[in-house]
Amino acid sequence: MKKTFLFTTLAGALFASTALAADGEPIRIGVPVGLSGANSVVAPSVVQSAELAVEEINAAGGVLGRPLELVIADDASGAAGAQKAFDALVYQKEVDVLISMETSAARNAGLPIVARGKVPYIYTSFYEGRSCSPFLYVNAWVPEQQVPPIVDYLKAEGAKNYFLIGSDYAFGRGMLEFARSYVESTGGTVVGEEYLPMDGSDWTAIISKLKASGADALITSTAGGAPNVTLSKQLRGAGVALPYANLAVDEGTAQSMGADAEGILISASYVTGIDSPENTAFLEAMKAKFGDELRTPNDLSVPEYEAVYLYKAAVEKAGTTDTQPVLDALAQVSFVGPRGTIQMNAQHHAPLTMYLGQVQADGSVSVVESFANVDPGAQCPDL
Amino acid sequence: MLTLLLDIITTAAILFIVSAGLLAIFGVLKIVNFAHGAWLTVGAYCAVVTAGLGLNPWLALPLAFVAGAVLGALTERLIVRPLYARPLDAILATWGLSIVIGQLITLWFGRDVQFTVSLLSGTVDIFGTAYSLYRLFALAAALVIGIGVTFVLEGTRLGLSARAIIMNEALARALGLDTARIRLVTFMIGTGLTALAGVLLTPLTSVDPNMGLAWLIGAFMLVMVAGSSFGALAVACLLFGGAQVIVSTFISPILGGITIAVLSALVLRISSKGFSRV
Repeated sequence: MKKTFLFTTLAGALFASTALAADGEPIRIGVPVGLSGANSVVAPSVVQSAELAVEEINAAGGVLGRPLELVIADDASGAAGAQKAFDALVYQKEVDVLISMETSAARNAGLPIVARGKVPYIYTSFYEGRSCSPFLYVNAWVPEQQVPPIVDYLKAEGAKNYFLIGSDYAFGRGMLEFARSYVESTGGTVVGEEYLPMDGSDWTAIISKLKASGADALITSTAGGAPNVTLSKQLRGAGVALPYANLAVDEGTAQSMGADAEGILISASYVTGIDSPENTAFLEAMKAKFGDELRTPNDLSVPEYEAVYLYKAAVEKAGTTDTQPVLDALAQVSFVGPRGTIQMNAQHHAPLTMYLGQVQADGSVSVVESFANVDPGAQCPDL
Repeated sequence: MLTLLLDIITTAAILFIVSAGLLAIFGVLKIVNFAHGAWLTVGAYCAVVTAGLGLNPWLALPLAFVAGAVLGALTERLIVRPLYARPLDAILATWGLSIVIGQLITLWFGRDVQFTVSLLSGTVDIFGTAYSLYRLFALAAALVIGIGVTFVLEGTRLGLSARAIIMNEALARALGLDTARIRLVTFMIGTGLTALAGVLLTPLTSVDPNMGLAWLIGAFMLVMVAGSSFGALAVACLLFGGAQVIVSTFISPILGGITIAVLSALVLRISSKGFSRV
């Protein structure tokens, strides 16, 4: 006993000079993410964000003297894959926290496992809203924050008749349901609302309906990546030139569409063009770490970076990685990241600054207008 | 109304383009080629490579046909040839092959959506209706492929031999036809046509490693119904493609997505030969 104590003290003295380098049992962060399937386009950028945050935090001494460790798992962008990924992370890898950007289907499939395993879960993807669990925190936007800026802009441009197109899943339907009610509450009319299954690739009939509907603005909310690209190509091919707001496109996907994406309006809490020292430092660090391999940071990947820091702040405030104290602390801590100051104090959701942007011919996004501290509204009144 | 008609005809044309290569292989070789989706993807990536090399995007069409045919030849020799007598194993083998091809493409190009240059953009006015120029081009392409295949089958020695094999293979071999060579060439034509179809799809759909999957089931159903006749395939594409557009337009695009599968199952239930007697 005494020997061990002596050894520990000695070791402590020996390594005192490198005390900043975190040691001890690592804190494991589970990242279930859609490396395959619909989210596979954006998932690598999410993983890169998490890797940078973990590297920075570990280089600065870790959390409570312990290093962070990422455990990445593929959820195949869907419910079945998510069940496997969450099961493996919670019960086999015994992670301390889950921090991830996923599809709504994957999140919904994972939540019961999170509740059973009692692990804090920070969801970093924008989504359709109103997902409530004592274990769940969200640091990305919900429709109440994203849709109003875009509809207000279209209205100011003279749009009255709106056509809505989406992929048939929770996010697609949830976003457009909110868009419909917001359009109608501001005096506009929804002249059509159509959905295609997530893996559908033939938008022919929907586009013909759109053209016949007399709509003067189009709002879409498809699954990210492939369906977005397919729909945009077919819209452009059919000569649709209406003002076109896309609730689910990121800068990276916009780039792969080339000229087809030009003019698309987006509303996001992050665009690479945000002019702040935190964003500049973040972008430079990403470039330095990943070089040619860098995936353009975006509205789905930056919240992942910030969420790792928010978790760090919560663990430090709680003084432990135990679930309940960390969950309590998560609502109180804040972090100044590339998107500004983030605090998940509004019923487990976060007020955010929203940017209205327009895709340029080269795929970059120029900011048309910004809206400070947009409130997520009453997402989870029972929490 | 005119738009609906154009939608039906061009949808049928696109379905025909996508299924033609599968039919060539199924009709003559009686092999259900589950790697069909992978060959479509290979073709589309030929368009990506062509664009990457800075070549004229139209060059992707011959390039994809050649690449598809060469890879098809390798597949026939190495994987399919021992399995002609075991069609169920061939389904598994080609399915496995499609997974391998998908992973190789992912390793090489990554999982994300690739940028491709649009072959033809814009619309043309048809009796006052602006309609996608590319979809009309697809209609022309389908006609060219249909006429080309019909010419090969009806007007060449190869076609005659292929038809002999379709009717009675044992007799054809007994008459001295080199069935192994005819099978090889047929398989190459099938995969070449499929890769060509992949290029033709690029202006309509995103190019990613899984793009072929979305088209596989529809093509498979249509070919099951069509049997071994390209005429029957054209009829099936028009009827089922038309039904898909009508259901999507007047009922729901979500139901439209399963129209082809449901109708094919119904037709095959009523008549196991499908449309092949047409």
